Amino acid sequence: MTHSEIFFLSAMGEWIRGPLAWAAFLICGAGIFIQYRRLLAMTRTQEPLQVIPLDEVQTRGSFADRLTGWLIFLRISILGHTPFMAGVSLIFHSGLMITPLFVLAHNELLDMAFGISFVSFSEAMTTKMTLLVVACGAFFFLRRIFVRRVRAITAPSDFVLLLIAVGPFLTGWLAHSHVLNYQLMIMLHILSAEIMLIMIPFSKFSHMIFFFVSRRLIAGEHGRITARRVWRYERLSNT
Amino acid sequence: MSEPTNLPVDPEPIREILKNHQQQIRLGLRMCAHCGLCADSCFLYRANDRAPEYMPSYKFLNSIGVLFKKKGKVGKPAVEEMGALVFENCVLCTRCYCPFGIDIPALITLGRRACRSQGVFRAYDK
Repeated sequence: MTHSEIFFLSAMGEWIRGPLAWAAFLICGAGIFIQYRRLLAMTRTQEPLQVIPLDEVQTRGSFADRLTGWLIFLRISILGHTPFMAGVSLIFHSGLMITPLFVLAHNELLDMAFGISFVSFSEAMTTKMTLLVVACGAFFFLRRIFVRRVRAITAPSDFVLLLIAVGPFLTGWLAHSHVLNYQLMIMLHILSAEIMLIMIPFSKFSHMIFFFVSRRLIAGEHGRITARRVWRYERLSNT
Repeated sequence: MSEPTNLPVDPEPIREILKNHQQQIRLGLRMCAHCGLCADSCFLYRANDRAPEYMPSYKFLNSIGVLFKKKGKVGKPAVEEMGALVFENCVLCTRCYCPFGIDIPALITLGRRACRSQGVFRAYDK
């Protein structure tokens, strides 16, 4: 490496570790808040037509009845009819959320910067979790290519998003095991994580927000029985 | 299907539909992770040799989804194709299940409205 290249990389590194990291967290947080507010703005509350009074719905039946109800609910949900895909998806998404919080190196950084840290798992454990996320990502990738119905609706952007989601895990693992250039890998690791954070509110990653919010709030979007919001249309018309 | 006509597409009614339901369409398109998990909840998909054209997400992405992305600027053949998709491949039984909770029938209904505004509709006597 020439001197100018080293200078460029270290300057980039400073920028990626400093202002861009703050910007990424801020944009992600503010974006999630803005999207949540937008969803509230595009819906309004409406009392639904209640055929059976709500308190009767909630207290109806014995424990066994309610358990049966839950089992039927699980049976007809995706956990019931595509258990493998649902399981892989569950492992992938929980790994994606949980793993970064318990990586020893992340907590050491937090400790150095703010004097606080979460519980850390052992490095062997977090490595396994990371590889599990990467493996699930690989499964989704292959599924997109080889399953006919998924291929039919796959757009090129889906592969890009998958790459961005798995990127921080792959580069983190490569950096941890000192494969390829460590400095470069750790920088790519931080950069890819920042890109993901920035994209969460404004891309298909926003299903992270809306998965909970739309079901919790909006009646008709397979929401809970207590969902009270409906879409607000700009004006009542036949179109 | 209705008789193919040589009338050009009138983008105004389509734009009106897109404008009135903009937020719902945008949210639906943004939430759809293209996972294909809705497929098995469609009885037409299961009855038609699991052809992807019967998948609920395929039907809304390729009707109202395309109209939304192209802002209603599509040709008559494209509208005819959408009509075949939303009228022939879907009976609006509202049984489709989306893991993200997207109201797919509502979006397919909008696709039907857009097609109907262009004189493309289900012909029951065929």
